[in-house]
Amino acid sequence: MKAALRLGMALAFLALPTFSAQADPAAGEKIFNDGKCTDCHYTKGPAREKTIADQLAKKGPELWYAGSKFQKEWLAGWLQDPKPIRPLKFNSMTEKNPADHPKLAKADAGAVTDFLMSLTSDAVKPVKIKAKRNPKGRLIFTKKMPCSGCHQYPGRKGKISGGLMGPTLVGAGKRLNSDWIYAYLQQPKVFKPVKMMPVFVGLLSDKDMKNVTSYVANFKK
Amino acid sequence: MLKKTMIAAALIGAAFATAAPAEAEDAEVMYKFYCAQCHGLTGKGDGPNVTKDFPVSPRNFTSAAEMNKLTDADMKNVVMDGGPAASKSPMMPPWSKTLTDAEVDALVGHLRKLCQCKGKQG
Repeated sequence: MKAALRLGMALAFLALPTFSAQADPAAGEKIFNDGKCTDCHYTKGPAREKTIADQLAKKGPELWYAGSKFQKEWLAGWLQDPKPIRPLKFNSMTEKNPADHPKLAKADAGAVTDFLMSLTSDAVKPVKIKAKRNPKGRLIFTKKMPCSGCHQYPGRKGKISGGLMGPTLVGAGKRLNSDWIYAYLQQPKVFKPVKMMPVFVGLLSDKDMKNVTSYVANFKK
Repeated sequence: MLKKTMIAAALIGAAFATAAPAEAEDAEVMYKFYCAQCHGLTGKGDGPNVTKDFPVSPRNFTSAAEMNKLTDADMKNVVMDGGPAASKSPMMPPWSKTLTDAEVDALVGHLRKLCQCKGKQG
């Protein structure tokens, strides 16, 4: 009897951490829908935008491939303490980002993270590009192509420079999945059929896209 | 035989016509979406990307004196292939893979409205 009890307790102990770490996307989806997150974000792919007007009608970024795009740990933290990612307000050219994204409590943020991480795109394949201060990627990003014209990034000695129209890439290595950065460069229209950023397919080679991905993924701060 | 070839050619033509984008975007809408990021909503070269870090001054499209130095073809070339195509800064992106030929023609037409000038005749 004692042995059975001990065994039972041991099993319960083993099962406990597994249970508490188990993802529950359905609970997160309910919080997402009840919280009216759907007013600004859509979560069912494929991409819907066909015209500039479609893109400008959106109030927030599409999230139907969030699980392929973001890093889980970053997302869970951001939902609890959201800081602007784009310096300007979504879709605006004149207004500063008001930094008014709703905040979630830790448990809700965890559940919503589980839901968003369950939304993935088949177009994002595991390429395993190593994040590093890639000199070729850096040259393309800072000199050959106009990336820094629209995106803030940490340059020499961590000095932040760059334009305001695109999402900041400061901390991109913690925020974004490098496989997604590469997939986005390679097949931008799958994710954003109408966007302000130029298409670089056919202008950058596959190797160059991997180098740029490696460089951007190295922006850890 | 000739008749059959003509019908086939017409069918192929029709197929291509259907494959083309349903609606071309309006030139002003495109300008405000793509170009104004750096060139500004009114074309003065003062878009929101032009912070103190921006290494060059984007062209002011309202300056007829400057814009008259360029032909429409010069402008199209730079929009398509980026600044380096005219020995200018790579901060001007190449839009050839984003915009269609007709859309760039429409944009060039809009730039002529902004400068209220006809440009150098090529």
